Amino acid sequence: MTGLTLLINAVSLALALGFLLIILWQDSRKELNQFFAIFLFLTVLWNVGALLTQMAVMVGLETFIVRFAVGVLELGFIGASIGVYTFASVLAGTHLQRFRTLALASLVLVLAYRGLIIASTPPAFTVINETFNYRFPLPSIVFYLFFDVVTAFTVWRYRRTIGSRLLVGAILLFVGGQFMAFLNPELSTIWLSTSISSVATLVISSEMLQREILKPLASRISQVEAMNRVSLSITSQIALDTVLEEITRQAVGWVDADGAGIFLIQGRELDLETVYELPEEFLHVRVPLGEGVVGSVARTQQSIRLVNYARDWQGVAELPDAKETIGSMICVPLIYAAKVIGVLMVVTGKHGRRFAPEDARLLEMLGAQAAVAIAHSRLFGEQRKLTEQVEAGRSQLESLLESTENAVIAVNRRFEIIFMNPAARELLALDETLPSKNVLRALPRAVLPPDYRRALRDMRQNRVHIYEITLHGKVFLCHLAPIGRSKAGWVAVVNDVTQLKELDRLKSEMVRMTSHDLKNPLQAAMANLELLRDDLAAETNPEIDLSLTMVEKQLVRMNRIIRGILDLERVKTGTLTFGVCRPARILKNAVEELKHLADDQHIVLETQVAEDTPDFQGDVEQFERALINLVENAIKFTPAGGHVWVSAERSEDNVLFSVRDTGIGIPAELQPQLFERFFRGRQKGAEHVSGSGLGLSLVKTVVENHNGKVWLESTEGSGTTFYVSIPALSLQVAE
Amino acid sequence: MKVLIVDDEQAIRDALGRKLRREGFGVVLCGDGLEGLRAFHAERPDLVILDIVMPGGMDGLTVCQRIREVADTPVMMLSAQAVTEDDVIQGLNAGADEYLIKPIRLNEFVARVQALLRRAQMVSSEDAQVYNDGHLNVDLQRRNVQVNGRKMHLTPTEFKLLAVLLENAGRVVPQRDLLEQVWGREYVDDVYYPRVYISQLRRKIEPDAANPIYILTEHRVGYRFERHDTP
Repeated sequence: MTGLTLLINAVSLALALGFLLIILWQDSRKELNQFFAIFLFLTVLWNVGALLTQMAVMVGLETFIVRFAVGVLELGFIGASIGVYTFASVLAGTHLQRFRTLALASLVLVLAYRGLIIASTPPAFTVINETFNYRFPLPSIVFYLFFDVVTAFTVWRYRRTIGSRLLVGAILLFVGGQFMAFLNPELSTIWLSTSISSVATLVISSEMLQREILKPLASRISQVEAMNRVSLSITSQIALDTVLEEITRQAVGWVDADGAGIFLIQGRELDLETVYELPEEFLHVRVPLGEGVVGSVARTQQSIRLVNYARDWQGVAELPDAKETIGSMICVPLIYAAKVIGVLMVVTGKHGRRFAPEDARLLEMLGAQAAVAIAHSRLFGEQRKLTEQVEAGRSQLESLLESTENAVIAVNRRFEIIFMNPAARELLALDETLPSKNVLRALPRAVLPPDYRRALRDMRQNRVHIYEITLHGKVFLCHLAPIGRSKAGWVAVVNDVTQLKELDRLKSEMVRMTSHDLKNPLQAAMANLELLRDDLAAETNPEIDLSLTMVEKQLVRMNRIIRGILDLERVKTGTLTFGVCRPARILKNAVEELKHLADDQHIVLETQVAEDTPDFQGDVEQFERALINLVENAIKFTPAGGHVWVSAERSEDNVLFSVRDTGIGIPAELQPQLFERFFRGRQKGAEHVSGSGLGLSLVKTVVENHNGKVWLESTEGSGTTFYVSIPALSLQVAE
Repeated sequence: MKVLIVDDEQAIRDALGRKLRREGFGVVLCGDGLEGLRAFHAERPDLVILDIVMPGGMDGLTVCQRIREVADTPVMMLSAQAVTEDDVIQGLNAGADEYLIKPIRLNEFVARVQALLRRAQMVSSEDAQVYNDGHLNVDLQRRNVQVNGRKMHLTPTEFKLLAVLLENAGRVVPQRDLLEQVWGREYVDDVYYPRVYISQLRRKIEPDAANPIYILTEHRVGYRFERHDTP
């Protein structure tokens, strides 16, 4: 019987030691493992002491050896009761900070004290009928009672936290086993006690092995699987609300919680977006950043685990009645791209389980996944919204383009047709299948711009190029413009201007006819006036002379008006005869024509042409006409004794003409209308000036025909300067 | 000197006629193209003045062309309608020696008439100059031009132009000089006159008007007559 007990004890302890080695090998730094090791070591010490004692008694060894063995036994016994206590409190999580140091120090102290006592007063034992009798001294009992009762209480109280019934049972068995040792020394209960404790230790060890190594291993596998599952189920959702719901469902399932919710950041607040197994009225509870557990987590980006919410959290409560209803809480920040987008909150009820650090770790893993899923779902949502908007805009634009009567064709940078509306197909008599995507090959030459280089230059400078197309006996105006600013290509809009053209032609025809019909009577009147003057040459009657002069002046004025209309018409409709224009030559001709007018009005007319003035391309005749109009204007509006300067010079890549006078100036309010047809500024000091109001309109038309600009600077009372800028002929072309 | 005036506006042709009569010209007045053409054949005037737009199916341009078919009489176009340079060139192409735009002052009108008559007369008084290279044969004194042995009709202005160029053969005649010598001092700015006449002259005397060998253009300067005989 005794031999069997010994064997069992020895085997149990050997196994327990083996398990211990495995556990320590797995993680020797873990507090729980360390205390378990201490506990096991002391239990072994106790058992070894018991073994030695038993063997010594059986063999009948010297008394002092038995005493030594009993001493070891007693030290081991006391140590084991302290060991089981420390182990249990670490297991239950009730230990304080610095517990390890404290526990070790007190253990050493107690053992040293007991050791000294044992050394000075050897344990008293008796052997009656080969039965070993030993009565524990009082201090041992006190130690035992103190530690083992606390242990039993702790284990029972925190049995849910410990989570393993077997472990709780084994520890209680151990405590019970130790208690056996005091029952009856005569019954040799000390051996029974040792055996029970050994078995309990074996169970504890195997449970620890289970708990520390096997379970985590198994759970790691299941975690990986679960993670996989979560990722799948979360990422398979697209709509944000289903994603959130899935995350909370998974979170609750993972850590065996009672409820969960997700707060999302909105501005400076957190909004409870989703709840799972929590009251619906919690939805859209708002918590400012930095307040409550949730707010702190969002601000610090660190997760918070509260084992006991009511006890551990002193701050603001984020949910109504939180302190009364919530037991344990974990809040995990949801971080995407280094920014907190929300907080995952998982809670248990007041009597539910308490979260372990492991739970927080798990939820952090889940949180990382969840954040990505939320962010992606949001991005997807935004993109879908954007796509919908773009699609809506596109279809609107398309239906607009489809229904318009104007042909619209768009090409990309490679001149491939990317859009063509029905009007364009009809106009060009093309069906759905284009002969080629390339616009230069697909479309007839007649509809393409006559001068590509000019078209590209125009679009670069003015963002539009306009040219005329004649197709099926109709006239179209084609507006060519770049698409947007992104250099995506070009779009052509074709307008049927046949009717306008016809109207314009009729108008021109009418102008011509009217002018012609006016010119004949004018010629007749002027000729007869001259004849009359000849006839009256002999007589000198100042009255008659004055009247004749007045009639002549009016006729000349009428002629000038007609000429102005015809000039303008010619410039507007006539084709330009482009040639190389020499600014100096043009200036000379213009001034020569007006020399006598200037002399008549006692105005000094001066010209200056800078030596580096470049040539330009244009219609010499038209341009001379324009310049003459400007100079004539300057002379007309300058009082006698004034000055008119005409000059030409280079200004960057342009030829800059300027006509400056010391005239009466033009009020700012008249300047904008100045270039309009038939505009005549009613201005003080200019009442005597006659004109058709067409001169400047012609200047503007001519200058624009030459891709140039005309503008003026004027100060009332001191003079006006008109500027005309025309692109210079580049050197390559000139040479 | 007899001048034929064809204009549908009675007021104008009367006024012009009165002025010319005062200046000592003989004047014949007609109101439409057909009448004008008949008068031309009947009266054999020294100068014809034509309005362009006229009723009755025959306008000034047609009348001018019909006259050119039979005679080198100087013709002056007088139009109220000229709007573009093309109109002027069209008139000159029809064979007119001068193109005036209404309204014109009578004094200027008379001056132009006189200049045109002078031009027509001056030709015959040039000193003797003969050019012959086999293809082109010109006798200035006898006003005779032959191309490939066939007699070629030149208008007075065309003939005068050829004469000036031939006199300066081998040298460039600047445009303004050409205008002054052929048309007169008043014409130096009418730069399209030489352009039109040179091209007509080329059509008449050059083997290939598109690639001239006699009358060469010196770009932006003027024209040059290139001899192909061996003087």
